[in-house]
Amino acid sequence: CKQQHDQAVVSTQSGHYGRDPTEDVKRPLTNRRKVKPTKLRSSIKPGTVLILLAGAHRGKRVIFLKQLPSGLLLVTGPYKINGVPLRRVDQAYVIATSTVVEIPAIANDKLTDAMFKRKAKPTKNEREMFIENTSEEPKISAERIALQKEVDAVVVPAVKKVEMLPSYLRSKFTLTKGQFPHQLKF
Amino acid sequence: IQSNLSRAIFCKMLYQRFIEVGRVCYIRIGDHTGKICTVVDLVDQKHLLVDGPTSGVPRCVLRLNQVSLTDLKIDIPRGCKSKKVRSELTKEDINAKFLATSLSKKAEGKKSKALLGDFGRFKLRVSKTTLNRK
Repeated sequence: CKQQHDQAVVSTQSGHYGRDPTEDVKRPLTNRRKVKPTKLRSSIKPGTVLILLAGAHRGKRVIFLKQLPSGLLLVTGPYKINGVPLRRVDQAYVIATSTVVEIPAIANDKLTDAMFKRKAKPTKNEREMFIENTSEEPKISAERIALQKEVDAVVVPAVKKVEMLPSYLRSKFTLTKGQFPHQLKF
Repeated sequence: IQSNLSRAIFCKMLYQRFIEVGRVCYIRIGDHTGKICTVVDLVDQKHLLVDGPTSGVPRCVLRLNQVSLTDLKIDIPRGCKSKKVRSELTKEDINAKFLATSLSKKAEGKKSKALLGDFGRFKLRVSKTTLNRK
């Protein structure tokens, strides 16, 4: 039985006879799972144009940059073209088109999950709860804006090289009459 | 099946293409969609015995609604063997003649339109609107 193999129940007593089950210590089963990032779809390569299906930017077409260690995809509008900033996106909420833009490999140390993780709001104690937060913190940090400019300086020229691609990225994906997603070739 | 007299009348008036032995048809529904075949015999009011040795269609019975008539016709006896059908088709070079028809060109156009990706559809839409605006 499985318990014997994983030693979920560790007996501090030796032998079977005279054993008191209430004295046994229960330990959780050992977790041998190795966490790997989600397998990236073969249709998604750096520079692929993706269609976002959910979130504030649903319907917009963006450029895929790379897959982060968490498994999420890092995308950029580019911001100047369609207002989508450097953003993490789940693979499941994305349609990969067959259009790939040739962008040089972006090797930036700052492009990690930690950069994009939401900062936890400082918890207020009883006294502070009714005091409004007066500190004027900009919604988007200067660091992010600088990073955005840095990345887009590489991506935007590559996008402009392809004819009609900037206007394509500026437009949103919609379904018209007679179009069915399962029949469309992206 | 039209008699020669009524055919002579109709040819000048309304119907140009008749369901008859030797008529070349375009298969639009079913296993052999997109291929052409020749009517070899008529089974009943709704079914045709059809053969397409030069286009990869085996001798089979098709429903009338699966098929679209073309302008092309070959001279074969009713119920003749595939060998005879093949020789007549190659003699008339029906495959090449079919490729020149508008039906074939439209089918090609539909196929290539389906292969357009999302970007291709966008470019098509934009070029259509700019063309229509002029």
